[in-house]
Amino acid sequence: MADLDQLLAKKVADRYLKREVLGEGTYGVVYKAIDTKTGQTVAIKKIRLGKQKEGVNFTALREIKLLKELKDPNIIELIDAFPHKGNLHLVFEFMETDLEAVIRDRNIVLSPTDIKSYLQMTLKGLAFCHKKWVLHRDMKPNNLLIGPRGQLKLADFGLARIFGSPDRRFTHQVFARWYRAPELLFGAKQYGPGVDVWAAACIFAELLLRRPFLQGSSDIDQLGKIFAAFGTPKETQWSDMKYLPDYVEYQFVPGQPLKTLFPMANDDALDLLSKMFAYDPKARISAQQALEHRYFSSGPPPTEPASLPRPPPKRESVDSKPSDFGPTVLSPTRKSKRVVSHPEGYVEKVDDHGVGNERSGPVPMSLDFSVFEARPPARPTINSADRTHLKRKLDLEFLIPEEDED
Amino acid sequence: MATDFWTSTHYKQLLDQEEVDVVHQLDKDRGITLEDFKLIKLHMTNYIARLAQNVKVRQRVVATAVTYMRRAYTRRSMTEYDPRLVAPTCLYLASKAEESTVQARLLVFYIKKLHSDDKYRYEIKDILEMEMKILEALNYYLVVFHPYRALSQLLQDAGMSDATQMTWGLINDSYKMDLILIYPPHSIALACIYVASMLKDKDNTAWFEQLRVDMNMVEKVATEILDFYDNHKTITDEKVNAAMQKLSTRT
Repeated sequence: MADLDQLLAKKVADRYLKREVLGEGTYGVVYKAIDTKTGQTVAIKKIRLGKQKEGVNFTALREIKLLKELKDPNIIELIDAFPHKGNLHLVFEFMETDLEAVIRDRNIVLSPTDIKSYLQMTLKGLAFCHKKWVLHRDMKPNNLLIGPRGQLKLADFGLARIFGSPDRRFTHQVFARWYRAPELLFGAKQYGPGVDVWAAACIFAELLLRRPFLQGSSDIDQLGKIFAAFGTPKETQWSDMKYLPDYVEYQFVPGQPLKTLFPMANDDALDLLSKMFAYDPKARISAQQALEHRYFSSGPPPTEPASLPRPPPKRESVDSKPSDFGPTVLSPTRKSKRVVSHPEGYVEKVDDHGVGNERSGPVPMSLDFSVFEARPPARPTINSADRTHLKRKLDLEFLIPEEDED
Repeated sequence: MATDFWTSTHYKQLLDQEEVDVVHQLDKDRGITLEDFKLIKLHMTNYIARLAQNVKVRQRVVATAVTYMRRAYTRRSMTEYDPRLVAPTCLYLASKAEESTVQARLLVFYIKKLHSDDKYRYEIKDILEMEMKILEALNYYLVVFHPYRALSQLLQDAGMSDATQMTWGLINDSYKMDLILIYPPHSIALACIYVASMLKDKDNTAWFEQLRVDMNMVEKVATEILDFYDNHKTITDEKVNAAMQKLSTRT
């Protein structure tokens, strides 16, 4: 019987041709592979089994459970799962890049309709989750993956939860800090889809500013940054605030007009932004309502996903181009300024439309471009200290005496 | 997950009675009849409930575990997947899926406490190995809806709040059958209310009529529940033991 099982596992595993390692995920290695059955490129997450003999990783199980229910064009697809050599493997559709890479890429100019398109896809994915009573709880540009045809999809459901039963208490230690809603920062245990909408608003702001909007260095500082931008909430704006577990009174600061914070945004964009950034979670706009906002229906429509600017895919574009003997295009097809520099200091391949007189091969550096961009600040993620804490607190009944596995 | 049963994988996976009542060929070869098959599943439901009492998990976890176990046996044989290992493994998996994790070693501790019989003795590594196989057997579908959800609201609406305990008990017992694999959970809840009304001699016809649900289905489920109780009286330890005897001994 054991032999039979092994044989079956091998056969499933043989369906996928393993390629290069893409990275280290939250709970194991992710590698690229080809699905021989469909010819499709996929990403396979190999799930490490915990040291503590607790079987299939709890976070992975959560992700499996929710992604099997959530089938939507704007949510990452879990194509398959199979055990192989004692480890569980999850097969996802392959995504080329993520929104963080787009925002950070100085060669990319995001037009207002590009931003509209990215935000619309984010909200569509989110609205679907909420309709299915799932909170994502880790919305950030890095978890919004972008597919080969420009489609944006929500990924990483390792922190997601079903919020169907009322009165269930959840941990407030969710989201990377910069995307955490004020009610979470004040320690709320009962919260709803508004936390995801706040994070989506932070992402909207980040698309406009091309840098993370509210970069707090601690939870207290995060609230300080929020209040400095929008003003300390008044009683009339958020009456329940003072009842939250970790509520502390902040000195009153007036806040700035949105138009000053986001000079590049039009009135519709600012109106939507202000509704997504509403202090009182009960007054905050829902993902579905946000999609119905004028911002999306008035003015020029969102860019088609396939035409959205995104960073060149890592290798393929270079390898597949040398045979291209067409006319040399001198001006960029898009109004993009292509500065050929990389924060880490190495020179990246320029894609063929960008600089006409280039052959393949690295661009010689004649100018120090590093002056154009300071290295972006390190993004806080849920760090290992948080994670240990999180594991303890996720969620009340989840008792696990072991230490962090990482 | 509250409202979205109709778009859930649970709904899509509902089966017909005939599909559930199939004894796997390997099990037939061992002389396991349909009646044995049902008895063993009933016995394992009780086993899961007893283990759950000891490790202290919510009723919801028990319900999910039993559903996993019953679903698994619509696709796998008892010969290859020993129920005495599958039952605790389903409880283990359900505790994770329902966000109330129970440690495998705690489970193993209580398995040993409840059963001195060698045939029940499984170790942590057996449970963890079986966990992966159960996941596969379930095709990785883990979200289960249960009849408990809308119960108190329905009872209140029907003016039967005094029958809460009885109805809750009826729902618990419904997991001793395969109803959860066949009917939408709210039909099971309504059927239990229907049975409770009968037992309490309360005429709820008007209330049921205004619900706009498939009353035929509700009555059908109610009849099955009543039949089950009738039948249950004839189940003896000898019958259960005889059925269990037909299971393989471990190799």
